[in-house]
Amino acid sequence: MPEALLLDDVHHAFGGHRALTGLSLAVAPGEVVAMIGLNGAGKTTALRVLTGRLRPTSGTARVLGRDPARLPVDAARRLGHVVGAALVDPALTVAENLRVAAALHGVDRDRSSSAAGAVCDRLDLGAWAHVPARALSLGNAQRLGVACAVVHSPSVLVLDEPTSALDPRGVVLVRELVRERAAAGAAVLVSSHHLDEVARVADRVLAVHGGRVVGSLDPGGAELERRFFDLVLAADSAGASAAASTRDAA
Amino acid sequence: MSALRTALRVEALAWRRSTVPRLATPLLVGLVPLASIGLVALARSGAVAGAGAAKLADYATGDLATTHLEVAGQVLAVAVLVAGGFALAAAFGQPLADGRAGAYFGLATPRGTLALARCVVVLGWVAACVVVAVALTLGASAVAAASLSAPFGPAAWAAAGRALAAGLLGAGLALPFAVVATATRSPLATVGALIGVVALTQVVVLVGGGAWFPYAVPSLWTGTGGPDAAADVGGAALAITAAVAPVGAGVVVAQWRRLTDV
Repeated sequence: MPEALLLDDVHHAFGGHRALTGLSLAVAPGEVVAMIGLNGAGKTTALRVLTGRLRPTSGTARVLGRDPARLPVDAARRLGHVVGAALVDPALTVAENLRVAAALHGVDRDRSSSAAGAVCDRLDLGAWAHVPARALSLGNAQRLGVACAVVHSPSVLVLDEPTSALDPRGVVLVRELVRERAAAGAAVLVSSHHLDEVARVADRVLAVHGGRVVGSLDPGGAELERRFFDLVLAADSAGASAAASTRDAA
Repeated sequence: MSALRTALRVEALAWRRSTVPRLATPLLVGLVPLASIGLVALARSGAVAGAGAAKLADYATGDLATTHLEVAGQVLAVAVLVAGGFALAAAFGQPLADGRAGAYFGLATPRGTLALARCVVVLGWVAACVVVAVALTLGASAVAAASLSAPFGPAAWAAAGRALAAGLLGAGLALPFAVVATATRSPLATVGALIGVVALTQVVVLVGGGAWFPYAVPSLWTGTGGPDAAADVGGAALAITAAVAPVGAGVVVAQWRRLTDV
């Protein structure tokens, strides 16, 4: 099956800092792939490239086979994402934000209220439906952000740290939602620091370090944390050896 | 067209809920009639002496209603530029400063369409404020004229038309500040640019280039610099001033289409 999300040998630098150094990954429809990595590993930069927010220095990015920086409307209708700030206006109520998100994602006007209501119930936001978003707690605001990204039932979903501010119940709600989307055939790419959560939600786990994918981990295996650090240390050792060889050759 | 309709609906809702119009609307529509009626009454009362009286001297004589509406045009020409500039600084600069603009990527409603709708909504709001402010000034002036048995004739209606046009021109001049807000990604830097343009306009008028400088044209045309300066503003200068709005909107739409590193 062709990849719904693809990054191929993507490089990008911010000034002198090399944020992505040949990062490659692919996510197929119906699959949940998680990226884990230390702070500054390049996870969010990769997600920004995939959502069209950052044009990489080199390499290929594709969403449903199209360049995300110039995504046509038919592909955009099938994409949902939360990378950093969500599609939420703090001055609008929860219900208004959901209807606006539905409209901007291409849901017909007569269906936007029902789509907004359904996702509001699904993420248990009904009690705050008429509360301005600016009055929500951090966790409820994060749930609203995720709700706005899935209100149109996307077939491609990109989520950056979607459970970082959530309480245990919120974590379960978002995990179930992600699994439901994947069961419906969506390709889901999630970045996270929470290894336990990653183990529960992902079909595959990619370890990102130094701006590239340094290995793949089985989420079902034991000691995910130890295996992740083994990959990171191996990547650092390989990098140090390569640098030493280069110095010797010079 | 469907995307633009959606964008206009969304932006209109967001603008209605925004703090900026809630604060600025009563100020804009209230200030103009109050200033127009109040300044003319003050000038004719004889209560002001010295430098203040010299500044108000132009309002102390002439047809009462026409003077009211000329003052309205002069106040509107500056007030709508400042109000519109602040509004566009907030509408375009804030989402870029706080990162919300990143969520506008990958939507079925393109970013350029959202930017155009935002321009239309803010410009529509300023234009509506101009219409209401002129209408309130007309009403207040008619009441004042009737109470003093002063005439309310064609000259007053002409002055009202010029105030309305000057206000709309001033509103259009605010659109380039959406471009500045997008380029700087900062509402504060945009407000700084707005203050800079107002100061620059004073300098340009002082050196005699105001009749061709779009940011000076509405004020001069409504008589801020006196009748001679108003007469110097020709049709070509007015056309150039009117062209600032569509050019500004076109540039900001192109900026939002090409936006990256958000």
